Amino acid sequence: MSLLLMGVGFGLITASVLALASVGLTLQFGVTNFVNFAYGEFLTIGAYLAYFFSTVANLNIWLSMLLAALLTAGFSWLVNRVVIQPFLKRRAPLLILLVVTIGLSLFLENGVQAIAGPSFQQYVTVPGAIVNIGPMIFTGQQLVIIAIAIVLMTGVHLLLKYTRIGKAMRSMSDDPDLARISGVPIQRVTDLAWVISGFLAGLAGVVLAINVTSFTPALGSQFLFIIFAAVIVGGIGRPYGAMLGALLIGLVTEVSAMYIDSAYKTVVAFAILVIVLLFRPQGIFTSRGRV
Amino acid sequence: MSSLVFYLLTVAIFFCIYCIYGWGLNLQFGLTGILDFTYITFVAIGAYFAGVAALQPGNGGIGGQYILGWHLPFPIPPIIGGIAAAVLAILVGYVGLKRLRSDYLAIVTVSVGQIVWTLIGNITPLFNGWDGLAGVPQPFNSVFQLDFNHYQWVFLVICVLFAALGFLIIERLTHSPFGRVLRAIREDEDVAAALGKNVFRYKMMAFVIGSIYAGVGGALTIAYIGAFNPSGFTTMETFIIWAAMLVGGSGNNRGMILGAFLVPVLFNEGTRFLPSPPGNPLLAESIRGMAIGLLLIFAARYRPQGILPERKTVFRLDGLPQGGEAGGDRLVPQ
Repeated sequence: MSLLLMGVGFGLITASVLALASVGLTLQFGVTNFVNFAYGEFLTIGAYLAYFFSTVANLNIWLSMLLAALLTAGFSWLVNRVVIQPFLKRRAPLLILLVVTIGLSLFLENGVQAIAGPSFQQYVTVPGAIVNIGPMIFTGQQLVIIAIAIVLMTGVHLLLKYTRIGKAMRSMSDDPDLARISGVPIQRVTDLAWVISGFLAGLAGVVLAINVTSFTPALGSQFLFIIFAAVIVGGIGRPYGAMLGALLIGLVTEVSAMYIDSAYKTVVAFAILVIVLLFRPQGIFTSRGRV
Repeated sequence: MSSLVFYLLTVAIFFCIYCIYGWGLNLQFGLTGILDFTYITFVAIGAYFAGVAALQPGNGGIGGQYILGWHLPFPIPPIIGGIAAAVLAILVGYVGLKRLRSDYLAIVTVSVGQIVWTLIGNITPLFNGWDGLAGVPQPFNSVFQLDFNHYQWVFLVICVLFAALGFLIIERLTHSPFGRVLRAIREDEDVAAALGKNVFRYKMMAFVIGSIYAGVGGALTIAYIGAFNPSGFTTMETFIIWAAMLVGGSGNNRGMILGAFLVPVLFNEGTRFLPSPPGNPLLAESIRGMAIGLLLIFAARYRPQGILPERKTVFRLDGLPQGGEAGGDRLVPQ
């Protein structure tokens, strides 16, 4: 039982990292209706930017994280404007668009590797005092990560629920044509979706790097399919689903790691992805799918 | 034999193998519109199974440990490699091809690629883990007893034969009624379904046949190099083949030959002499990865139909076919 609770503790940390990442991916998907296969590299870029700020420029890790996330948000906006938009303007088919994002992912991962080198990096941080909650063990840092996730998820919720632009996003995700003829400023909403997506990816990249302690340029691409698992479990394009999906995947993988070899955590996430795709491809938290 | 001849033979052998890879991917994407973002995983499965089919039983010692070890003579290992890749394709196809949008299969393939790579590396008893297989016997060389240099010629002949056979089969498939249905599915799945075609079944067949090409190509690769490990099937390898297809002409098997020459051969060989500074030993590798990524984006942007585009048949109102080249933009309609 205490083993189970310990697993739940670790699961909450993983779920926090995963929630930030998967909400970012799914928000952009909801508005633009295609998967960004370069999303993993957005995490990587965030992690390396924070490495630059914290280790080279000697800034505090959380400040570095914020700066990295803001820059990643800007980068994400740029990617949309420079790389993606020309294809959309020419009405390029979906297949070509996906090939472009995967080409971009290859370019970015190797770009990071060319600049920062292939070896393992590590933030110089203080994990903070150990906090015990029952059998669950957290470091101060991990509690901050959980808090960040809660704050950001609440923020996304408030944005989607109460602001005009958030409602516009939801309307575009539900029915892009209807949104367009109802006067939703498509360009502005799309830009914002990419910015938020990039910001969350940047944050997720940094907290992921803190969580795994040492990382390489493959950090994001190796994490990407776990993000996919969370996103698809929740129903792709649905931010609330992604939050629940992240919680489910985070808890299940970490609890399973208490009982089986932790090297197979990713296999567990993959198995969930396969089961959901086979039996409920629209996601397990959605009543009716659009897929 | 001069080293130049040796080098050219090596290049020619890889050119043949890349053609085989390319035709398989072309059947999947160029003809059917299936997004297989982990084509190299099927190559790897083919290579591994062909390898363990050709090797002596593993003893766990110097040769490492692995399954099977049947010590079968050529050409049986490539057949086993092809079957293994086909089995994996059926499994992946069942999860990814059924009634889902094309992004889902892409997601499934990306995930399968990661999982298979991690599992093969971590589970040593399968294919000797991260160290991989080594000492795979060269086809027919127990008969010829040639040294490595002269054996190159034998292997080139084997590869040319396989490539010629592969080309004949893929051309027949492409221009058969089967190929026509695949193109219909690529252009509009719903229309093909409305005409009574079982879209899932056709997509599955295209996916499996394409994967058999991958598996056989992988089998030839391991037979030639004699060794294979997880560093041989990274994501980048998949996209070298993708770039070759997009540059050469997706949907056109002859264009694919041109692409296999331009991208893997010219590009890979041409960038071989990039510097590798001690501080960043993978710099050349990274630059190549960036270039392949850019190549994909630019090919998709400026010439998605490739250098040798697919010749599309346009039917006139009187029902007579009329040759014509359609724009590459209409791979799949919006």
